[in-house]
Amino acid sequence: MDSGLSCVAWLGVLLILGLPLLGLVPIFGAGLQASAWQLLWADPQVMPALKLTLFSASLSTILALLLACALVFLFYPAKTWQRLQQQAPIFLAIPHAAFAIGLVFLLAPSGWLVRVVSPVFAWTAPPTGLITTQDPYALSLSLALLLKETWFLLWVLTGLINQQWLMKQSLVAQTLGYTRWQAGWQILFPQLLKPLAWPLLAVFAYGLSVVDMSLILGPSTPPTLAVLAWQWFADPDPSQQLKAQSLALLLIGLLVLGASCAYSLYKLLHTLLARPKGRRKRAYGTFIFKPLVKYLVTLPFWLSLSLLVLWSLADGWFFPQILPANLGLNAWQKAELETLLLTLFIASCSILISLPLALIWLEWGNKHQAYLYLPLIIPALPFTAAQYQIALLLNLDGSLLAVIWSHLAWVLPYMLLVLSGAYQSLDARYLLTAKTLGYKTWQACLYIKWPLLLRPILAACAVGFAVSVAQYLPTLFVGGGRIETISTEAVSLSSGGNRSTLAIQAVLQTLLPLLGFILASGLSRWYARRHPGLN
Amino acid sequence: MPFKSLSLVGLVLVSSVSLTTHAAEDWSKIEQAAKGQTVYFNAWGGGEAINQYIDWAAEQAKQRYAITVKHVKITDAAEVVKRIQTEQQAGRTSDGSVDLIWVNGENFSALKREQLLYGPWAEQLPNWVNVDTTKPVQQDFSESTDGLEAPWGTAQLTFIADRSKLPTPPDSAAALLVFAKQNPGRVSYPKPPSFHGTTFLKQLLLELNPEASVLGKPVEAEAFAKLTQPLWAYLDELHSVAWQQGKSFPASDAEMHQKLADGELLISLSFNPNEAASLIASKRLPETAYSFGFKKGTIGNVHFLAIPFNAKAKEAAQVFANFLLSPEAQAHKADLKTWGDPSVLLASKLPNQALNPSVLPTDVPTLAEPHASWVEALEKEWIKRYGS
Repeated sequence: MDSGLSCVAWLGVLLILGLPLLGLVPIFGAGLQASAWQLLWADPQVMPALKLTLFSASLSTILALLLACALVFLFYPAKTWQRLQQQAPIFLAIPHAAFAIGLVFLLAPSGWLVRVVSPVFAWTAPPTGLITTQDPYALSLSLALLLKETWFLLWVLTGLINQQWLMKQSLVAQTLGYTRWQAGWQILFPQLLKPLAWPLLAVFAYGLSVVDMSLILGPSTPPTLAVLAWQWFADPDPSQQLKAQSLALLLIGLLVLGASCAYSLYKLLHTLLARPKGRRKRAYGTFIFKPLVKYLVTLPFWLSLSLLVLWSLADGWFFPQILPANLGLNAWQKAELETLLLTLFIASCSILISLPLALIWLEWGNKHQAYLYLPLIIPALPFTAAQYQIALLLNLDGSLLAVIWSHLAWVLPYMLLVLSGAYQSLDARYLLTAKTLGYKTWQACLYIKWPLLLRPILAACAVGFAVSVAQYLPTLFVGGGRIETISTEAVSLSSGGNRSTLAIQAVLQTLLPLLGFILASGLSRWYARRHPGLN
Repeated sequence: MPFKSLSLVGLVLVSSVSLTTHAAEDWSKIEQAAKGQTVYFNAWGGGEAINQYIDWAAEQAKQRYAITVKHVKITDAAEVVKRIQTEQQAGRTSDGSVDLIWVNGENFSALKREQLLYGPWAEQLPNWVNVDTTKPVQQDFSESTDGLEAPWGTAQLTFIADRSKLPTPPDSAAALLVFAKQNPGRVSYPKPPSFHGTTFLKQLLLELNPEASVLGKPVEAEAFAKLTQPLWAYLDELHSVAWQQGKSFPASDAEMHQKLADGELLISLSFNPNEAASLIASKRLPETAYSFGFKKGTIGNVHFLAIPFNAKAKEAAQVFANFLLSPEAQAHKADLKTWGDPSVLLASKLPNQALNPSVLPTDVPTLAEPHASWVEALEKEWIKRYGS
């Protein structure tokens, strides 16, 4: 049984990831040539773009980690925490690009904040000295990534901190006179880092490889590396393609480098924190700090969302109007139900296949799983082209089956990412006890372990669902343009740059994943009420 | 010598292929075969007016020719080129996913170079007789079309401004620079190598070098250095007073329009002479927006329809392309209330259109594109100078 399930896990992973990766070998083989690297380094954009990319990806990852942990240590499990939890699904469901568009309209020199204060300064035109978005240091891009990824990490953290042992430790520390803040950083933080390792790597990978957000908020001379790779991969000129192939390898190299640096830091931190001095520190200034942090992570989202909704209804909105001159529903009347249902179907199938596979993989598969996350970092265009090649060879192009299969390459890694932390930190004695009482491993999993992990499992499903809904390139390629989802519709309509259309598509793209997140958190709360003491 | 004999063999091959396949084919047979076929038309999906026009044309094709046309909305024709390349690599020589593609410029030359196109077919279409061949309909960015693509519409570089903020527009490159200096931070252009940004560079190059004959030939290092010297001098001056001091550039023409609406820029640009009218209609620009060109003219070109080598519905694709070239479809397309894309047909074949104040005045001359090889050289040098 066990070896059979292990085979199933390997087979599934090979089918989903192995095949397209195999298709990538010739592409990356070409990228290894010395001449390709010479071309790459000779490009004057590469070095400054490299600095920018590393800066924005590391800054946003580190700050998102600190901010997410700070939120836990400050608010868990008080009322504010619950309120944050209730808002989380909305912020998680907003697609990255939609959030970026909302932020631009909030922060740009002609944006809403400037419009609000413009009567005070008697501005009749947007100020020219102010560079708030698309700034040359990618600060606005980093800020957007930071805010969005904080919620992703918080979502993962929620699955972790509900495990009893962590909170018991915090409680013990508090009875010994430490504040919750100090106990959090000294006791919980080092322990949370381990289960957070993979999600953090994913956040870093996302920061390295994000294209749409960089285009909207990032600088342009030079842009980030991912934007360069995206432009070069789409260029019909073979020498640009060659540069793109080397650049894709460089991005993978940066990810490995980032991971090794993070690991060394982690080790260093553990040595430094191994012998705490035992001094109880009072927490100063939390009365300012608390609301500051709380509004920092929620207010930009609410403002961006409101502005998006307003834009979707606006019938003409020019500087310096604070609100649109006219409102109308004409832009809304073109939304189609059919694509919505098809998207729902594809996303549901994707998680229905990914979930069992992820669970089997975690239990019977390989524990070292770095390569599973390759699709999250490899530029999407060559990876998708490799997927399409396989679909063509199997004569499955344009079929729903093939589109679902192509989505799995992103859905499975993200679900594993959310699950693996909680999975591996579950007390091993549950399974051991079950086995000594006569259960086989699969029975113990089915009846004991997996029900105990229901909350992280639901969280993973919601993330997987959202990931599937957001897929544009694989749907277009592997579907051969035959299969229309809300993302193919949204992305192609968005390329026209009409802000009202953009806003509507953004709201539509938010709604479906939002349903998934609300369902997941509702179900897990309902289940937790019936099963007290659940992880 | 070996070159000559090779090209001779090529010629014989091409002509014999076209003789055997196309002499035998007659239009009514094509129309017969097209019945019941489905055309997957891969065309940019970012313009709602364009999407609606394609919906209209699809409906007409259904009624008249029993052809189903499905608009595959894409963001960039380069994606489709990649998809067709992938199909070829996978050995899919028939039943491809694309039947008809909206294309021009470097994407066409890539498709042609890699022999990914079906044809020649375009000049055998019955409606070809209506085409105004004095327009560059047989040259796509100085690349000969060889009947591998049919013209669909024309385009000309057009500047857009708001009359309430800019009553008299600059009428030359030199005047634009003066204007930019008077209004620091309010002028920019899309970042090359984006299509519109590169077109703006070519426009400046043509205007700063009146001896245009060299620009029509393949680029050479010496001529490039000499002719682009005034261009870089111009841009150095322009950037110092441009939006964000020329350290950042809008990504596309769409972003330019948005920044014009937001008041961050005073001048936007487009490749569609009727763009301002449709932007006003969709309330994306105020009603005071208008178009203008330079006195000595602006760059113009043509966009096309092509059929990939492995298209499944080659017949229906031709029938649909032929319909799109009909005076009726072209007039409907040129109508400002639908799309406003100028026709490629002879003016005598079309009904007269009322002039709209927001569109590009017809007295702005059209300048021919420089040779395609200048594009890459310009983009490379621009990136080197200003890209980082």
